[in-house]
Amino acid sequence: MAALTTKKARILVFSTEKISDPAIDMAGLLKLHYPPSVYTISLPCSSSVKPRWIIHAFENGFDGVFIAADGSDCPYGESCTEKTAQIVRKTQEIMKAQQIEPAKLRMAAICSVCSEAFVKQMKSFHAYLLTQQTIAL
Amino acid sequence: MKQKIGVYICHCGGNISDYVDVEKVRQAVIDEPGVALVENTMFACADSNQKKMLDDIKQQQLDGVVVASCSPKLHQPTFQSVVERAGLNKYNYIHANIREQVSWPHSDDKAGATAKAIQLVKAAIAKVRLAESIEPMQIETEQAVLVVGAGIAGMKAAIALAKTGTQVYLIEREHFIGGRIAQWDVLCTTDETGKELVTRLYNEVKACKNIVLFTGAEMIENHGSKGNFKISIRIKPRYIQKHCNDGRLQKAIEVCPVEIEDEFNFNITKRKAIYHNFPSEYPHAAVIDMEHCTRCGECLKICDQINLDQEEERLELKVGSILVATGFDPYEPVEGEFGYQAFDNVVTLPQFKRLVANSEHKLYWKGKRVRNIGYIYCVGSRQTNGDNKYCSRYCCTSTIYAAIKAGEKIKDLNHFHFTRGIRTYGKQEVLYHEASLQGQLFFQSPDDDLPKVETKNSKTIIKVNDLLSLNHSIETEVDLVVLVTGMVPRHNNTVSEILKIPKGRDHFFNEIHMKLRPVETVIDGVSIAGCCQGPKNVVESINSALSAAIKCYSLVSQSHLQVEPIVAGVDEQLCEWCGLCADSCPFDAIHMSQTPAKQTALVNEAVCKGCGMCLPVCPTNAIQLNTYSDPEIESMIQTLASDL
Amino acid sequence: MTTQPEKLNFDVLIIGGGIAGIEAAINIANNGFKVILAEKDLTIGGKMLLLSKVFPTLDCSACITTPKISEADRHPNITIFTNTEITSIEKQDATYFKANLVKHTRFVEEEDCTGCQLCEEACPVVVPDQYQYGMVGRKAAYIPFNIASPRVATIDIDNCILCGACEKACPTHCINFMQADKNYRLIVKSVIVATGFKLFDATKIQRYQYGTAKNIINAMQMERLLAPTRPYNHVIRPGDGRVPDKIAYVLCTGSRDFTVGNPICSQICCMYSLKQAQLLMGALPMADVTIYYISIRSFGKGFEEFYEQAKSMGINFVKGKIGNITEKENGNLILRYEDVASGRLKESEHDLVVLSVGVVPNEDASSLFGDAEWKQDAFHFPLQKDLLFNPSLSNINGIFMAGTTTGPMDIPDAILSAGAASMEAIQYIQKTAL
Ligand SMILES: Cc1cc2nc3c(=O)[nH]c(=O)nc-3n(C[C@H](O)[C@H](O)[C@H](O)COP(=O)(O)OP(=O)(O)OC[C@H]3O[C@@H](n4cnc5c(N)ncnc54)[C@H](O)[C@@H]3O)c2cc1C
Ligand code: SF4
Ligand code: SF4
Repeated sequence: MAALTTKKARILVFSTEKISDPAIDMAGLLKLHYPPSVYTISLPCSSSVKPRWIIHAFENGFDGVFIAADGSDCPYGESCTEKTAQIVRKTQEIMKAQQIEPAKLRMAAICSVCSEAFVKQMKSFHAYLLTQQTIAL
Repeated sequence: MKQKIGVYICHCGGNISDYVDVEKVRQAVIDEPGVALVENTMFACADSNQKKMLDDIKQQQLDGVVVASCSPKLHQPTFQSVVERAGLNKYNYIHANIREQVSWPHSDDKAGATAKAIQLVKAAIAKVRLAESIEPMQIETEQAVLVVGAGIAGMKAAIALAKTGTQVYLIEREHFIGGRIAQWDVLCTTDETGKELVTRLYNEVKACKNIVLFTGAEMIENHGSKGNFKISIRIKPRYIQKHCNDGRLQKAIEVCPVEIEDEFNFNITKRKAIYHNFPSEYPHAAVIDMEHCTRCGECLKICDQINLDQEEERLELKVGSILVATGFDPYEPVEGEFGYQAFDNVVTLPQFKRLVANSEHKLYWKGKRVRNIGYIYCVGSRQTNGDNKYCSRYCCTSTIYAAIKAGEKIKDLNHFHFTRGIRTYGKQEVLYHEASLQGQLFFQSPDDDLPKVETKNSKTIIKVNDLLSLNHSIETEVDLVVLVTGMVPRHNNTVSEILKIPKGRDHFFNEIHMKLRPVETVIDGVSIAGCCQGPKNVVESINSALSAAIKCYSLVSQSHLQVEPIVAGVDEQLCEWCGLCADSCPFDAIHMSQTPAKQTALVNEAVCKGCGMCLPVCPTNAIQLNTYSDPEIESMIQTLASDL
Repeated sequence: MTTQPEKLNFDVLIIGGGIAGIEAAINIANNGFKVILAEKDLTIGGKMLLLSKVFPTLDCSACITTPKISEADRHPNITIFTNTEITSIEKQDATYFKANLVKHTRFVEEEDCTGCQLCEEACPVVVPDQYQYGMVGRKAAYIPFNIASPRVATIDIDNCILCGACEKACPTHCINFMQADKNYRLIVKSVIVATGFKLFDATKIQRYQYGTAKNIINAMQMERLLAPTRPYNHVIRPGDGRVPDKIAYVLCTGSRDFTVGNPICSQICCMYSLKQAQLLMGALPMADVTIYYISIRSFGKGFEEFYEQAKSMGINFVKGKIGNITEKENGNLILRYEDVASGRLKESEHDLVVLSVGVVPNEDASSLFGDAEWKQDAFHFPLQKDLLFNPSLSNINGIFMAGTTTGPMDIPDAILSAGAASMEAIQYIQKTAL
């Protein structure tokens, strides 16, 4: 069990410059803690994530991928929520085909002040990914 | 691939270095491929460090720069400008956020924070290694604005734009300008008349040499986009040439055998097929209404300046931006709605206003004396069953004001207001107070139990269960029922289809953001003003007109527009033209292009906003977004994952 | 110690950095003119930056304001002076105005402050926090709040005990107790007054017990309780920190009321109350929220639909004006009102009362213009000389007005009026340049 506590799960977050980045920044400002194995790459919009990037992340050793979606706050249009969801669905199918557990890809709308929601998501996702690792062991 | 990358890691006076071992980060990245120099600095943003960066870039001929410090929201522009001042393109700069996303949230885990900082800096280096210079995009603009609709909003906007020196084309679909306001008499709260206001506006329009006004003109086509719209318009003929003198024209009108209802007076009066538009006729010129003209030729016998075969003209206008101010229609009650058309003494508020404007001392309707007037509010607005859920905003105030003004002109009137709760917001509240003091009576019906208009022994009765008096049922006998009709979007407004302006739930044109961008639309370069966006009073329309004008002006005030060069690009080799990208683009920036070899997608860079929504949909992965290309993103992913 | 004022030239001076002032500044600057935005407070953003969410979209107010703020902040044609007071404005001729300004000292070198808040941690003095409307404390060395712009520290010298703790804590040594106020003399071609509105002071209605009964707050305080930069992590009543479960809203507090000298309707309070009530239903699902009103004025785009939504969420609406409020020993409140539906006087008990205070004019500008008389309308808002044709024009040519300076309005209306003022100012400058 000792091994478990020191273990970490790597999470790649696709965030967005105008909406979720400010929330993630504010989590820092408020000194809200989440695991340091969470890394973000920011994009203009959460509907611009290519499935191949997500697969690439898993192939290179990420345990989980999280899309911090713009949701209805998207500056580029109302279709964003639906489009991001579509990307998730499509990628999860590819994941299934490649025997990657689809639940290792998550998405949630993170508005520009949703710092607490972001931290909560990271903690629970991290905890979940750790359980996946023990099963694998 | 960059060879000489400079990396600067900030302590932020302890904010970073208290939790991140900055020296360890420096050591860890110094041997990354392409890195020429790694420096730690107490404050990266301080003037002294900026100077050092400038010197380093110049002296060591750095080709890429990374700063690891606070959030890019704070200082990315600062460092981009340093890089630019040193003669490097700003896209060769990449920022790593190791304060808001590392030292602060992981202040509980110094080892973890340091490890994460190392990965983030390495990923930034990986990205900058692949970065390419991108020149800012410039598009040449037509320094002219098209204003659609010559009501108060359109005219006010046209005048304001013209006074800045901008070329303005003002097109009006009707043969006369002024829109609805020309039809109103006194306006609250200054008591100016609609005619006075329209006269002032028209005189100013005429005084501006750089406004070209077209009446009877309608937009039929658009090719082009922000900066370079090409708009085709169609101009309906008046069928009367310039020099028909007034006397002869008057006779021609007399002999015209066709009589139809006069829309200007909301059908309460009649006019001929050849007509003037009194009382506020601008431009001052008669017109033949070809829809109703029978081509009998009577008028031709009197004036040789009449030409029933005059043809319509077509023109193309080139403009940099478009301001749409096409106004509203008054709601037209359906037959039987509160007795409308079922009883002959039920009129709409616009008709009532025209009636009072045309009356002196005594009020008559269809030959009968009117003393008791019942106003039924929210007709066509706040509908529980119908489609129009919204409140029309102007009508409570407008009705109370109309009642007060009617009372000043005609002394023996009694006013009964059947409301749904009066909404004289802001300073208009004092009118409500004044009306109450004058003894005008106000009732309020429940939202689900509206007033009823009935006849009893040839008398007209309004029945209401009044919330203000314990729900008592009250019957009031009136001589005239005025339906306080709300505003609805103009029907057959083809402008929205041509320009693709989206509409809201209420069917008015939709702004890009309800709170902060109320006059801009998702169609770049097209703004909306006045009541086509939603109900407004005169002051609100003027404010929105000027706001739209300044947004249009900022697109044409310079001869070139800078557009963000972060745009999508299509690899013609890979593209199989399936059209999925075009469908996914919220800005309609992608179209099919035919090359000799094949059909491919083509991105209009002036329209593309760089959102990247087209990237994931392409089945052949033929689309890349500047600065977010597969190699860039994938090398970052790979680097971030490399801490095994 | 008087120093010669520094002389500066701009095209337009904008007084007040609320949303209207910011919008006007961006509009003008985008067309190549130089703007100075002078704000009295420590941060720009005005009241909007402090709101929770906005009706009827329920967008988070701070998140939609901050992008505008950073746009203004970064704009090459905009110079922002915070903590600054205009002392006088004189019209010289048809082409320019002279203005005198004092930029008050913060005792902190703005350029060097990195916003790390270490001084705040070190400072031993605690005073009520004006940005949280007095509900919690702040230090004498402080940053107004997380999303303040500029996000730099200030020493509140009136409360500072000169212990020097902040000076020692500051890693950039930017605290400077010798820093003095700076005077400036401006030459500008046009002026826009965007000084916003004031909230009605509810202590003026004594029968409502605001300021004496502990569990009566005003709507701005409720905005703070619901905002992302809120003082506590929960909606609680200030008297005892308990979570309220029977909340009352008293609409038209200080509006439509001749007895307090304000006969007009504030036009935003119905809507913000509907908004807060909806947010409360979300935050405290078990709570009962009752709105006491005269008439609900949901007149703008999407407002009526928003009202319908509020009704369907189970918020109670009672038509009736509150006569008086009394406090019980347990801190609960008894509201006495005339119930229009039954025609009777009634009483009801609530554990938190929110007064939906109205908009009153900010008369700051009236003393600025020396000989040129600054006229007001019957309600003490500045006069709109040509209301229907040019609503933003004041009675002095070349001086325009934006936002709630001229009367109550919501955010979109403030944006529209700022658009109008900026367009008129640009025309005015170009005309006088000819
Ligand atoms: C409780 C409450 C809730 C609200 N909720 C909403 C909502 O949900 N949606 C909505 O649309 N609207 C809402 N509003 C209305 C909204 O706050 C206003 O419409 C908006 O803030 C007006 O902006 P403004 O720039 O005109 O004024 P203000 O925000 O008052 O800004 C004026 C600025 O000028 C500065 N200033 C004042 N005097 C001087 C001086 N002499 N020199 C220099 N600077 C000066 C002030 O410090 C301030 O920064 C709400 C209002 C309240 C009170
Ligand atoms: S303004 Fe008055 S009459 Fe008009 S729809 Fe609204 S409530 Fe009804
Ligand atoms: S908006 Fe509503 S609460 Fe505010 S004064 Fe007007 S009627 Fe009263």
